[in-house]
Amino acid sequence: MAENFDRDDLPQATVVPKRRTRISIVWIIPILAAVVAIGIAIQRIMSEGPTITIIFKAAEGLEAGKTFVKYKDVNIGQVTAVKLSSDHSKVEVTAKIDKSAADLMVEDAKFWVVQPRVTLSGVSGLGTLLSGNYIGFEVGKSDKQQRKFTGLEVAPIITGGQPGRQFVLKAENLGSLGIGSPIYYRRLQAGQVIAYDLAADGKRIELKIFVEAPYDKYVNPGTRFWNASGVDASIGAGGVEVRTQSLIALIAGGLAFDTPPFVVTAEPAPANTVFTLYTDQAIAMKQAESISAHYVLYLNESLRGLSVGAPVTLLGLPAGEVTDVGLDVDPATLRVRGRVEVVSYPERLVATLRAKQATVGEALIRSAQQRHALMQRLVEQRGLRAQLRSGNLLTGQLFVAFDFFPNTPKVKIDWSRDVPELPVVPSTASDLEAKITGIVAKLDKLPYEAIGADLTKALADLSQTLEDTSKAVNRIDADVTPGLKSTLDGLRGTISAADGVLKSTDATLVGKDAPAQQDLRDTLQEIARAARSLRVLTDYLERHPESLIRGKTEENP
Amino acid sequence: MTVIALTGAQAGLLSCETCALLTRPADAAEPGYCPRCGGELAWRRHHSIQYTWALVIAAAICFIPANVLPVLSTTTLGSVDSDTIMGGVVFLYTSGSWPLALIVLIASVMIPLGKLVALAYLLITVQRGSLGGSRERTRLYRMVKFIGRWSMLDVFVDTFTVALVQLQPLMFVEPGPGVVFFAAVVVLTMIAAESFDPRLIWDSLANREGLHG
Repeated sequence: MAENFDRDDLPQATVVPKRRTRISIVWIIPILAAVVAIGIAIQRIMSEGPTITIIFKAAEGLEAGKTFVKYKDVNIGQVTAVKLSSDHSKVEVTAKIDKSAADLMVEDAKFWVVQPRVTLSGVSGLGTLLSGNYIGFEVGKSDKQQRKFTGLEVAPIITGGQPGRQFVLKAENLGSLGIGSPIYYRRLQAGQVIAYDLAADGKRIELKIFVEAPYDKYVNPGTRFWNASGVDASIGAGGVEVRTQSLIALIAGGLAFDTPPFVVTAEPAPANTVFTLYTDQAIAMKQAESISAHYVLYLNESLRGLSVGAPVTLLGLPAGEVTDVGLDVDPATLRVRGRVEVVSYPERLVATLRAKQATVGEALIRSAQQRHALMQRLVEQRGLRAQLRSGNLLTGQLFVAFDFFPNTPKVKIDWSRDVPELPVVPSTASDLEAKITGIVAKLDKLPYEAIGADLTKALADLSQTLEDTSKAVNRIDADVTPGLKSTLDGLRGTISAADGVLKSTDATLVGKDAPAQQDLRDTLQEIARAARSLRVLTDYLERHPESLIRGKTEENP
Repeated sequence: MTVIALTGAQAGLLSCETCALLTRPADAAEPGYCPRCGGELAWRRHHSIQYTWALVIAAAICFIPANVLPVLSTTTLGSVDSDTIMGGVVFLYTSGSWPLALIVLIASVMIPLGKLVALAYLLITVQRGSLGGSRERTRLYRMVKFIGRWSMLDVFVDTFTVALVQLQPLMFVEPGPGVVFFAAVVVLTMIAAESFDPRLIWDSLANREGLHG
């Protein structure tokens, strides 16, 4: 079977030329390019943070691609677009935030435009003059992520995380306060005003303040705040006192707070507690009066110098104040008298008692009946009376003093009236007047005429005496003087003689060309010469001792 | 006398690419080496299409980051300003100098892109064995090759600017990553144009004529 066919009939295998299907190494280039490009793309996408939208009222100095978002002066993003909102009333700023700061974009995060700001209390944002405005950022506390924010108009003064607490103050008006106005506690700066706004009813200003951390614990529900702007000068017995908080507070305004001593130190006030802002320290620190008793006084003397607000004192201690000064007329008798209405605060007086007595005192004033009974007893048994007194002699300011006059007649208070009347005594000023009148009357009684007559007589006597004296002097003149004169003449002759003697003596002895002097000079010259020759002799003898024996030898040439 | 359009390959002859000596190949599959200069002989450039494709694709990939990434970042008084090529074109146009914008647009965007498209078109037509427009396609190829050497202008300007504007700390300019990719696009397209064998454009026509003839 194998030999049945011809070999050549069989089909021949075809030769297919070997094709080069090998992939060239050149493909590494596009692969490499792709890897690099994809790598960069991945890196970009990975580092891509969120894109947020912030709505501002105006885009002051904000520019797409140039304005940054900064947190603690570190760039955390960049503005990518600035455009008007759909209703054209606001500006929508789109910013790309770095991935690292993505989790900071929570719902209560704050954004504001930082620009140079010069205020009395400081200069801020100067760096933006060169670099342009930027968007400031402040972290929030929330965990809820958000992508759409509303920008603040002004930078928050207190940055988040700063320890301390916010409070709200209600004030009559803003005064010279502003954002950033300092708040002092014992003249230490303890915080700042962070915002203010008109209250909803338009009648008050609501100030938001921030008290920094160690000082915030001194703010408790009883703390008083007052306006410390300007200067508070007062003249007291201790001299002139000028109170101001600091120069900045003087110029830019400021607040101060303190807790009055009568307030029992309580727990620190919780954040956002509402306080009242008082106009000055004295008013702020005044104790709030819960008990007040009104009385009326009728006076038959001048009320000039007594004004509403004048103090009412008990034994000189403040007990209340005058609430009204006016007239009272009785229609039947047409009797006109002065009417002074006062209010007294029994608590103030109780506060001055010592601790042990304070509780007793408080018990005495607790109810209206008890207070009435106390007052009745004081008036009836102790003679408590009201009196006008002069507080200041120069200005003539008056005040109402309660004092005890035991000798006054007994009076009953009519408690049935709306405002009970308290008995009064005339002021000491009128007493003084009476005394002066008395003195004048006594002066009047003096016997001026008799005194005049006596005086005339005395003067006549005096005249006589003077005359006698004159006579005695004349006599002395006549009898004694001639003898005295001759004696004096003799004395004068003696003296002139003595003078002549002395003069001649002078000429002989001490005059310049006196003969005695001339002789003396000659004599002395002689002596000097003698001494000289003696010296020559001794010299010679010393050299030639033999001459004593041999005599003077001839000098050899 | 009739003109005979005959290619070297059709005649079974090779021209040395180095010294242009006309030789007979040692073997149709393995042409061997030039007897005169020793250069390797090839009917057509080795892997021309594959090489060109690879480089064109690489250049196309690089073209994206070259346009997306900034080519220049200017720091003026602390504020950094990064510019891409298109950003520059838009800036020039909006600031009123549209002729400059046009120049930058043509030189930096359209020419590199045009080169890529042209090379891709040449490669596709060659692979499909298209017959028409061979002459035009050859002209296109010549243009691509000619224009290639001018495309580095952008990189050149970029480098100059960076070197000159160094007024630290007031103002200084730094190159962006985009310029590296841009340079890569230019270099890759130049090499791609070089590695493309224009004779391939005519081969299909020659093969067809050969079949008919």
